[in-house]
Amino acid sequence: MPLQSVWMIRLSYISLAVVAVSGAVLLINKGSGLHPAIWALLPVHYELAIWGWLVQFVMGTAYWIFPRYLEGEPRGPEKPMWMVVILLNTGLLVLLTGAITGKEFRVMSMIGRILIAGSLLLFALLIRKRVLSYRGVHQH
Amino acid sequence: MPKVTRWMIKAGLIYLAAGVIIAGLHDVHSEWFGLSLLAVYWHMIVMGWITQVIMGVSIWMFPGRRRGKAKEEPFLPWVVFGLLNTGLIARFASEPFLSVANNSAWIEGGMMVSALLQTGAIAAYLSEMWPRVQAKKARR
Repeated sequence: MPLQSVWMIRLSYISLAVVAVSGAVLLINKGSGLHPAIWALLPVHYELAIWGWLVQFVMGTAYWIFPRYLEGEPRGPEKPMWMVVILLNTGLLVLLTGAITGKEFRVMSMIGRILIAGSLLLFALLIRKRVLSYRGVHQH
Repeated sequence: MPKVTRWMIKAGLIYLAAGVIIAGLHDVHSEWFGLSLLAVYWHMIVMGWITQVIMGVSIWMFPGRRRGKAKEEPFLPWVVFGLLNTGLIARFASEPFLSVANNSAWIEGGMMVSALLQTGAIAAYLSEMWPRVQAKKARR
């Protein structure tokens, strides 16, 4: 497993742990009414579930498992993939900081989402040429 | 494919079908008999379907923790399956009724039990998978 995938999958697992704990606190609060301020965790819960857990896990696994190039670097250039990891997680941190503090939420939310979008775009550019089949290649 | 993976994928498919039906019901009326269905729909799709299928497939496809024991039926994934699905069922049997049964100890208890079971499932899954996510060099 390449190091970029190890980092993405482990970061997605950390996200899943935070999603689980925040979800449990929210559910208990919903039933028992512990404190209204706990509802501030809701955006952390769903943003982290989608971007931190699901999307990051899928990207990390796809980078590892999709067909590799027959010549040169097996998964293409490595540095841009590190940029994908950094942009996605920085974007997520900015987005969540805005959601938790509530200050300048719209600006921070927008910056976070732009960083996440940049990460997704870069990932799509890197992975698109690996969406192929080598079946029958050796026959020609 | 291990038996636990087959059970997780089949359970996931049931949640997918149930989630789509509940989404359809929610589109027709936002409440049925005073029951709130939106959170049920979201968690059936995200936890019951997507997350459970990811868990099942990764337990099957990710590199094994110990070499030479790949064919042994693992125990911890069954704990994940049991905790996750009892937790989800407890949630779906309690949360929608919160709005019609105010201050019911059964509803509050059901939600609390569900929160603990789902968190336990994710803790068990992470303790199974975390050591298996390694770079190829580190595994040698």
